Amino acid sequence: MTTVSSTTEADTRSLMWRRWVQRHGWTVGIWLILLVLVVWYSTLIPRFGGFQASTIIAGGTAWVFLGVAQAVVVISGGLDLGVGGMLVLSSVTAARFMDGQPIGVVILIGFTIMVAAAILNGFVGWIIAVSKIPDIVVTLGSLFIYQGLALMVLPKVGGGTSETFRWLFTGSGTGIGSNPWPTVVIIFIPVVIVAWWLGKTKSGLSLYAVGSDTTAAYLSGVRDVRTKIIAFAVAGVFGALAGFSSVSISGVGNPTTDGGVLTLNSVAAIVLGGVVLTGGVGSVIAVVPAAMILFFFNPILSALGVDPNRAQVIQGVLIVLVMMVAGLLEWRRIRRR
Amino acid sequence: MQDQQRHILTAEGIAKSYGPVVALRSVDLSVEPGEIHALLGANGAGKSTLVKVLSGVVRQDAGSASIDGQPLAYKTPSDAVRAGIATVYQDPALIPDLSLDQNLTISGLRRVEIEPWLERLELAGFDFGRLVRDVPLATLRLIDLARALALDPKLLMLDEITAALTPEQTDLVFDVMRQWRAMDRSVLFISHRLGEVLSICDEATILRNGRDVAHLSLEGVDELELVAAMLGEELAGTGPASEPSAPSLVSSVADDADVILEARNLHFRGRVNDVSFDLHRGEILGLTALDGQGQDELFALLSGDHRPTSGELIVNGEPLAAKSPYNAIRSGLVFVPADRQDALLPQRSVRENLALPLYNRISRWFGLQSDESQRVERAIDRLDIDTRAASQVQRLSGGNRQKVTLGRWLVDDFEVLLCFDPTRGIDIQTKAQIYDLLREVAASGGAVFIYSSELREIPLVCDRVLVMYNGAIVHEQAAATATEEVLLVAAHGLEVVES
Repeated sequence: MTTVSSTTEADTRSLMWRRWVQRHGWTVGIWLILLVLVVWYSTLIPRFGGFQASTIIAGGTAWVFLGVAQAVVVISGGLDLGVGGMLVLSSVTAARFMDGQPIGVVILIGFTIMVAAAILNGFVGWIIAVSKIPDIVVTLGSLFIYQGLALMVLPKVGGGTSETFRWLFTGSGTGIGSNPWPTVVIIFIPVVIVAWWLGKTKSGLSLYAVGSDTTAAYLSGVRDVRTKIIAFAVAGVFGALAGFSSVSISGVGNPTTDGGVLTLNSVAAIVLGGVVLTGGVGSVIAVVPAAMILFFFNPILSALGVDPNRAQVIQGVLIVLVMMVAGLLEWRRIRRR
Repeated sequence: MQDQQRHILTAEGIAKSYGPVVALRSVDLSVEPGEIHALLGANGAGKSTLVKVLSGVVRQDAGSASIDGQPLAYKTPSDAVRAGIATVYQDPALIPDLSLDQNLTISGLRRVEIEPWLERLELAGFDFGRLVRDVPLATLRLIDLARALALDPKLLMLDEITAALTPEQTDLVFDVMRQWRAMDRSVLFISHRLGEVLSICDEATILRNGRDVAHLSLEGVDELELVAAMLGEELAGTGPASEPSAPSLVSSVADDADVILEARNLHFRGRVNDVSFDLHRGEILGLTALDGQGQDELFALLSGDHRPTSGELIVNGEPLAAKSPYNAIRSGLVFVPADRQDALLPQRSVRENLALPLYNRISRWFGLQSDESQRVERAIDRLDIDTRAASQVQRLSGGNRQKVTLGRWLVDDFEVLLCFDPTRGIDIQTKAQIYDLLREVAASGGAVFIYSSELREIPLVCDRVLVMYNGAIVHEQAAATATEEVLLVAAHGLEVVES
């Protein structure tokens, strides 16, 4: 009796272990790659301390938020090219209205911008769901619209925000400090909330459902239009958070920032983070290190003394290589089944 | 006492059309508490559409339904669940990339609600963390059933639930259905397996051409009587007279004509079982079956889209090992799919669409040879298509599009034309033209293998007919004598008695 039950227990444990590796292997792998890169980087430069860590983490925050924004939409089977535009629009709006205000008012403005971003981008999701025009077309439009609105809100570089607000996103009132922890916290609170929502609640799982199998989702009682609106609204909120990070680092709003490039970075981040572009699969927890890694490429390559013109090529090649490895692993997994 | 009088479900005059295609004309249905009610009918009778209407997937154009006295007004499938109707669809409605636990969350269920039912279906201790995509189809159907039962509906609708199940699993499902009946709940049961229907169901409603043609109690009824009921009154009435009759077209093919296509013991993942047949030059060979008997897979094998698990295909004496449809086309097997959109370039002209197969040869990229151009012109004349619409194929009606997909093979050389349900949803006049085209294609030196879900068109267009059931060929005969009744009996896997 004992032998039998212990064998099955061991079987169950090994099954659970294999499943855990299968589901979360990519997430863990990406975090490990980030760790290895950090360790390697610390040997490349003369001194690696709080200042360097803070600079990189604060600099990567906007990329992380945009990656999460994109991940939420892509998991639900869509694509939002407008997230970069939302960063620009919300950063200039923040810079214009937060300038010279006490922190209480600044926080209030911040929440107002987040709500407005949710409504605005949720409206974009509604248009896509109702009109059945492909996401890529509608959000290409919203990218240009956000970018144009940004110029109307703030015609040229300017504005500002409170020091406390900058401290939240950079660990320093001047945008450059040596305390990375506030930034770490401001990244993790919203990401953990979204990860929990996506994985545990009915409305969050609906995003995976629609992205995975639209028909089965519909038959299971998932409301497709509502799900699309929610996904885009959440993306809008994270686009706004990315804008706050950007304004906190530079201390001003810049309406001429290229939102298109930022959007493409967000797509690269989710692909590296293991979010499948056709929807239904992926974790926002893995997008955090993936976006950080992408941001990290530049300091590493410059520490190595690589010509910045070549750096872009190398970055591109590395992304493709990593994805090929991922594809190979997935292919082996399917073949073994 | 009043409860016994009340119907759990009543539907009156339900009608539904998809564009020009009428799926339901007018259907009445009533189900009483504590009843297992069968919904029967041949292909295209409207069973699936009725299920979709009652489960809130589509909205009816006319008619009304009520459950437990409450009128049904759905916007989405979840409204149907709230009203007390739970459905197990032909394809499991579970999200493949999520675990069972997460799927339950989406349905608003907790584990404890579904566990007793899983236990009843001998799935106790099922691992809720498994991804749905890793679970075998049969198990998924049982889980889908357990989920539907856990929603505690007044009416349970089961659409072909036994199709993927083993006999043991089927018995379990029947036990659960009996238990459900004993709890004074109702089941609407849809199955092609008449033996199952007779063993488990109390009442039956039979649909034909979108109407309910019979309501009967199943006590003392046998399978052949059910088939007769499915053929309905219409068989004797207006039906055949309004159909195009073209028996003169049917040519007799000499038995010693060359065999162009030979299928030898084809198997495919349990969906196609040991299928063998010969197709002769100049012949039109028909295939008919109820939905989901392996005909889709068989055509996918023949057209090179799938590769058989075992068995072989021989074209003109040469074994064919097609890696893709391209290889099949190169050896002369061309396929006209059921969905006409798949086969056409919608924004190009009729002429370009007709000439398309010729461009498979690089030498034609810079222009067609003069005789080929003439063939294209002649084919356009033959198709009899309104030239105002000819500049863009997407402006053509469904029937005319189908004529284009067939007509292009008049232009090019091929050996075997594979047609999957070419006349589905097409008006009668165009149907007759399509039959003519098929005849002409066969006469031009090839052969045609055609699947049709419409039993009565088989004698009109085919020389010989095969009937498929459960992945195997169960019947073969000359098409001229293949009456609808014989075919329907054979399609249900029943013995055909020669009369």
